[in-house]
Amino acid sequence: MSVPSPAEISRQPFPKLLKDRYFATRIDTIVTVTFGLLTLWLLWSFFEWAVLHAYVDPEDRDACVQSEGACWAVITARWRIVLFGLYPFEEQWRSALACLAIVLTTILSCLPSFWTALRLSLLWIVGFAAFYILMRGGILGLAPVSERDWGGLALTLFIFAAVVLIGMPLSIVFALLRRSNLPWISRTMGLVIDTIRSLPLLTIMFAFAVVIPFATPDWMNGQQLYRVIVGYAIFFACYQAEIIRGGIQSLPAGQEEAAKALGLGYWQRVGYIILPQAFRNALPPTINQVVITFKETSLVTIIGFFDILASGRAASGTGEWSFATIEVYVFVAFIFFVFVFSLSRYGAYLERRLGVGTR
Amino acid sequence: MEAAMQDPAIRITGMNKFYGQFHALQDIDLKVERGEKIVICGPSGSGKSTLIRCINRLEEHQSGTIEVMGTSLDDNVDHIDEIRREAGMVFQNFNLFPHMSVLDNCTLAPVLVRKTPRAEAEETAMRYLERVKIPEQAHKFPGELSGGQQQRVAIARALCMNPEIMLFDEPTSALDPEMISEVLEVMVGLAKEGMTMVCVTHEMGFARQVADRVIFMADGRIVEEAPPENFFNNPQNERTKTFIGQVMGH
Ligand SMILES: Nc1ncnc2c1ncn2[C@@H]1O[C@H](COP(=O)(O)OP(=O)(O)OP(=O)(O)O)[C@@H](O)[C@H]1O
Ligand SMILES: [Mg+2]
Repeated sequence: MSVPSPAEISRQPFPKLLKDRYFATRIDTIVTVTFGLLTLWLLWSFFEWAVLHAYVDPEDRDACVQSEGACWAVITARWRIVLFGLYPFEEQWRSALACLAIVLTTILSCLPSFWTALRLSLLWIVGFAAFYILMRGGILGLAPVSERDWGGLALTLFIFAAVVLIGMPLSIVFALLRRSNLPWISRTMGLVIDTIRSLPLLTIMFAFAVVIPFATPDWMNGQQLYRVIVGYAIFFACYQAEIIRGGIQSLPAGQEEAAKALGLGYWQRVGYIILPQAFRNALPPTINQVVITFKETSLVTIIGFFDILASGRAASGTGEWSFATIEVYVFVAFIFFVFVFSLSRYGAYLERRLGVGTR
Repeated sequence: MEAAMQDPAIRITGMNKFYGQFHALQDIDLKVERGEKIVICGPSGSGKSTLIRCINRLEEHQSGTIEVMGTSLDDNVDHIDEIRREAGMVFQNFNLFPHMSVLDNCTLAPVLVRKTPRAEAEETAMRYLERVKIPEQAHKFPGELSGGQQQRVAIARALCMNPEIMLFDEPTSALDPEMISEVLEVMVGLAKEGMTMVCVTHEMGFARQVADRVIFMADGRIVEEAPPENFFNNPQNERTKTFIGQVMGH
């Protein structure tokens, strides 16, 4: 019996296609039916919980407590705490606009037409300036809001964007130093990278937030938030540097030799030949690293920052809504999902796009 | 400048090259006049690649002197840059930049190194692509071309820098037999126009046709050096005889 190729299968009429793919043998049928039923049952249970038996109106709080369903009422009542944390209530529109500024900047910088060093730097300078002015205030008639009161989604996005933006160039520098021809430079860099990678992120954040101010003069310290970002960016850079180094090492030696033979200098070889190809090779692990970085921003809660996870906990932290933690976590999880899933899809798009030249 | 006009294209004297303890090139003396075509051959591992890679400092020699177009190859970075601008190189594995179009491969160095305006560099690139008979591939990526086409692009890319000397390291060894002739044809054309060429190759037909001198290497030394007629018909050294027997044998 000849097995039809996938292309052949997809050209067949639908019922036949279904049969070939899922009911071809007795075992296939059993597996399909079992997992089909299991999936249906899970979906149905979730649907029952999340929609059928759910309450949305905050007035229904008491009914909620009795019910088996989800109590989305907690979100309706407290979503502003989840999204904006401790940011002053009257000013929360600023925080919303600031989120929008970061998201918009990120989306724009994902578009190939912005991929020149000049455009990207301009874009991010404008983006961060807009974010900072909106969040911090103190000019343009905006009431000042201290970094200590920033929170929720805006804080999470800010930390993430700043860490990746500082960390990425830093990682390139680290990777190049690590590959230096001078043994004492490459060894020192290797030692630094391995040391920082062997420490937990939390330790690094804690060190930058709490310990460093004791060790350095006051003028160097700045706001705790920025110190944490710098620490996190260095941590990110150490991992990313090894990813980039891997990408560089997977290039055939002939690439650099050909560039040398043409008379290109070190920075020209790095900028035009090595890095573009290394980044393309290292794209999947890079996307992975960026996604992990987004998710691990929530570690800043432990040093007392109100990122979106912490403010979510605060939203169900009052006695009134303390029974509804699951709903809040589902809501926060959904927000994380939207961002992380978009990042992954964008990564997949990039891989396809950059793959074109290789064939 | 007047003195410079008399300098040979390449002058190597008493040159030694070590890989760690391994003595890869021993007491190499070689002079290549301007416009001269040299073919280097010899058994695998005899140091042919190492020799021509020393000429543009892809490998560093440990003693002796190398001069290219009157510029001596030492630790002075300006000298290295200058020599690399004057000597184009073609590799066995083409080494085109896979993330750039054929045209960008050809214009990159002229624009970055020679600071040629882009439009002018593209014009030059198209002229050389026409010369190697693939102008229609200019906007493709290297991965979309056959091996023979890629090697012809690699030659065009080197020529775009307008070099005085072309170094070839087994340019046809990675090619399928039916593509070898299209690359050799380009190289013969180049030779006829008076380019100074140093070619490591086992294409003995090519050697007979264009070489002014054939150099035979074994164990890191230049063992024999003669015009092609003498080299093929009347080899002096035992090892040369065996080698010619092997190469001609099939
Ligand atoms: N990077 C290196 N490190 C150590 N030894 C090397 C290195 N490159 C080459 N060698 C050694 O130097 C000798 C000469 O090598 P080379 O590549 O010049 O030979 P070749 O004549 O070009 O040979 P082939 O015909 O196989 O290309 C060989 O014995 C080789 O093992
Ligand atoms: Mg070789």
